[in-house]
Amino acid sequence: MSNKILIVEDEESLRLYYEEELKAEGYDILTATNGREAIQQVEKGKPDLIVLDIVMPVMDGMETLGRILRKTRKIPIILHTSYTDYRQDFMSWAADAYVTKSADLTELKKKVRDLLEKNKAR
Amino acid sequence: MKVLAIILAGGRGERLYPLTRDRAKPAVPFGAIYRIIDFSLSNCLNSNIRQVYALTQYKSTSLHRHIQLGWSILCAPLGEFIEVIPAQQRVDEEWYQGTADAIYQNMYILQDERPDLILVLAGDHIYKMDYRKMIAHHVEKKADLTIGAIRMDRRFSREFGVIEIDPEWRIVGFQEKPDDPRTIPGDPEGILASMGIYVFNIETLVRRLIDDARSDSSHDFGKDIIPPMIGKGQIFAFDFRKGDQGEAGYWRDVGTIEAYYEANMDLIAVTPQLNLYDPSWPILTYQAPYPPAKTVHAEKERMGTVVNSVISNGCIISGGTVRRSILSPRAHVHSFAEVEDSILFEGVDIGRSAKIRKAIIDKEVHIPQETEIGYNLEEDAKRFTVTPSGIVVVPKWMKL
Repeated sequence: MSNKILIVEDEESLRLYYEEELKAEGYDILTATNGREAIQQVEKGKPDLIVLDIVMPVMDGMETLGRILRKTRKIPIILHTSYTDYRQDFMSWAADAYVTKSADLTELKKKVRDLLEKNKAR
Repeated sequence: MKVLAIILAGGRGERLYPLTRDRAKPAVPFGAIYRIIDFSLSNCLNSNIRQVYALTQYKSTSLHRHIQLGWSILCAPLGEFIEVIPAQQRVDEEWYQGTADAIYQNMYILQDERPDLILVLAGDHIYKMDYRKMIAHHVEKKADLTIGAIRMDRRFSREFGVIEIDPEWRIVGFQEKPDDPRTIPGDPEGILASMGIYVFNIETLVRRLIDDARSDSSHDFGKDIIPPMIGKGQIFAFDFRKGDQGEAGYWRDVGTIEAYYEANMDLIAVTPQLNLYDPSWPILTYQAPYPPAKTVHAEKERMGTVVNSVISNGCIISGGTVRRSILSPRAHVHSFAEVEDSILFEGVDIGRSAKIRKAIIDKEVHIPQETEIGYNLEEDAKRFTVTPSGIVVVPKWMKL
């Protein structure tokens, strides 16, 4: 059974791009357009990993991260943002990885692979 | 070096029931005019630490009121504050799951203040300590974490986190409430107990809190945060005697009615170990402006008398006798009444010819004429809490 990844991204074109690229890697994909939807997807869809944008309407990624961790501690979460400043935010340290957005998804894909592998070993 | 103090004031204090029926443990009155938390707060101010948060959770109204009335004394424009933060469910619809979770859920205050060091304190200990000395020790040792430690008799090991140190006072072992503790080298009857006082480097604390939040844990400092750090970073114990402002090594966790009673009674000694009269280390509190205490009547059988006791403003000893007792503000003792070895809280009224012995009487209780408390414990136990050592506790507002 393939791993299920939840992509949380408010910008539609990017969301589609990440969805296509990660599907091509063989993952099942869930999507959400903001933090609130993401929390619902975590409860309903039971993803194996979450790629979480930070700057989003309705509920931002940092608050979402905190809330998801209260519900489930085991799902690896990658913060995925255009900004490097959020590394200064203590809460960002609670994520399993911090990846700066780029058209080249090599780093993101590698982190996804590594974290799923690590989580399987746990 | 910017230091932020966080006082953990959320404890339920169940073993202090019924004194904690209507208030959090740090808000329990102590020593006639104080609340327990006044000691940690006074230590902060006397140590020149002027950025203090107190985290509360249960039954915090009286604690909030006390801190607002008594501790709004800092200079906000200079960045100083003593602020109470109630549980706010910022992260989820959940109360704090443990002492570590209380800080984790308030991570934003660390983010906002960006201190270099965090001083984590318990809000329910009675002692006088210069935290600056502990902080200086932390900095000098380039420590990640420093834990305040005090020598205790080994028979008390089940009540404490027991620290094992090397000759440099580096912590090499930690047992939480062990039956068979590691004793202090060269002192087979002594253990080094954690006082629940921690100095953390900010990054060390944040990383530990996050790791703990992401693991199955009871989220408690003593049980979950400290043990995994032993042997990994620079972790030292700090000898309380080096920071003690009382010079007698006085430190009490007044966790039970017995301990609470004894700690109060310590104050009536001729020279108490806990000296409240030292002008260089004032213990501050809130005091309403009541008139001075007074005694009246001086007839042979009806003499207003107070001996070996602590009495407060607003007290009137009117033809009754008070021995070895602690009287909070506005306690009245009427004619022919006797109060011995007891603690009367604010507004307690002892009616004519009543006899009170070895009792703690909570706020605003009016003891009717000729009532006896503490003379027949079997009878007392039908109405009040009576501890194994025979202390009778009458709860707040009880109608008799």
